[in-house]
Amino acid sequence: MKKVILVADDSPSIRKFVAFALTMKGFDIVPVCDGMEALEKLPRENINLVITDLNMPNLDGFELIKAIRSNVEFKDIPIIILSSLAGNEEIQRGIEYGANSYLVKPFDPKRIAYEVSKYLD
Amino acid sequence: MKHVSNMTDLFERLNELKVVFRYSEKLIPIIQNLMDFMKETVPLLENINSSLIESTSKIPKASDQLNNISSATELATTEILDIVDSISIDMERIEKSVKDVKSKEEEKLEIWQKIKTILGSEPSSAELVQKYEALNNFLPIVPGMLDAFQKVKNDVYNITLSLQVQDITTQQLAAVNHLIESVRSSLSSLMMHLDDSEIKSFDGFYKDMPVVGTFDPNAEYTKSTERQDAADVLINDRNSKTTQDEIDKLFS
Repeated sequence: MKKVILVADDSPSIRKFVAFALTMKGFDIVPVCDGMEALEKLPRENINLVITDLNMPNLDGFELIKAIRSNVEFKDIPIIILSSLAGNEEIQRGIEYGANSYLVKPFDPKRIAYEVSKYLD
Repeated sequence: MKHVSNMTDLFERLNELKVVFRYSEKLIPIIQNLMDFMKETVPLLENINSSLIESTSKIPKASDQLNNISSATELATTEILDIVDSISIDMERIEKSVKDVKSKEEEKLEIWQKIKTILGSEPSSAELVQKYEALNNFLPIVPGMLDAFQKVKNDVYNITLSLQVQDITTQQLAAVNHLIESVRSSLSSLMMHLDDSEIKSFDGFYKDMPVVGTFDPNAEYTKSTERQDAADVLINDRNSKTTQDEIDKLFS
């Protein structure tokens, strides 16, 4: 059975880039535009891992991570932050909120596939 | 005696009045100059006001154009990525076929070795064996083909990395849009102070102003791994270190 990855990013091209890198490695992708949509999809799809941007409308990445980590059902899902924000402050905050990995845009497609495989293989 | 004192007082007052008149005489040309200056300045201020109105009216258009650029590059990038995706799928399929053929050729080779052993005692078959082997030399070229597939795959990955410039420029354009919106807001506030009636006529104009989305003003397109390395250092304080060899192994 294929593992399912939820990709939350307000940029359609980034959602497509991530899908490109991961579908080739045999993963299924559920793309969403923001944190709010991600929280709606999470209980409906059988999500194994979340990849999230930080700057998003409605509900940003930090709030999304906080919401996932505070939910008993999903608190153990691996979360990878994928953001153009690369300051120490954002990275530290991401770690504190409970992200497992932090990838900086523009990202290497091989690297994102590797990070996902680390948690799902 | 009192009468003399009053007269002295009167002369002093008259002297003071004389000074005031003399001073006024000097002041009149200055006031005249000031009035002339005001007459010249009022049209100038009106000009500045109308320039402000004109400039401010152009801002939503500039902002719209920036948004159009973002949308167009987004569409083009998506189209390119669809093509790249299709190429990758085809390449994967061809690579798999080549590997299947290679596997069958290896089996065939084993059988051929056995046939050759049987035919070895037949001198008349030597020429046929030589011809057959010359026509069945697929296996030696397989490693070169697989290397070429790997190179194409790497090129495809590099294309997707380069195409991400679109996302970064979109964020940079959004940051410019945000600055434009700040300028427009300041100009509007200035115009409101200059002429309240003029700003009212623009109220409807701004309703279609594009909303500035979420963006990172410091977004940067670079192929340097410096920023990722810095992130890895912080993350690896908690987790085990990631090496390029491990990543490459997954894709070999």
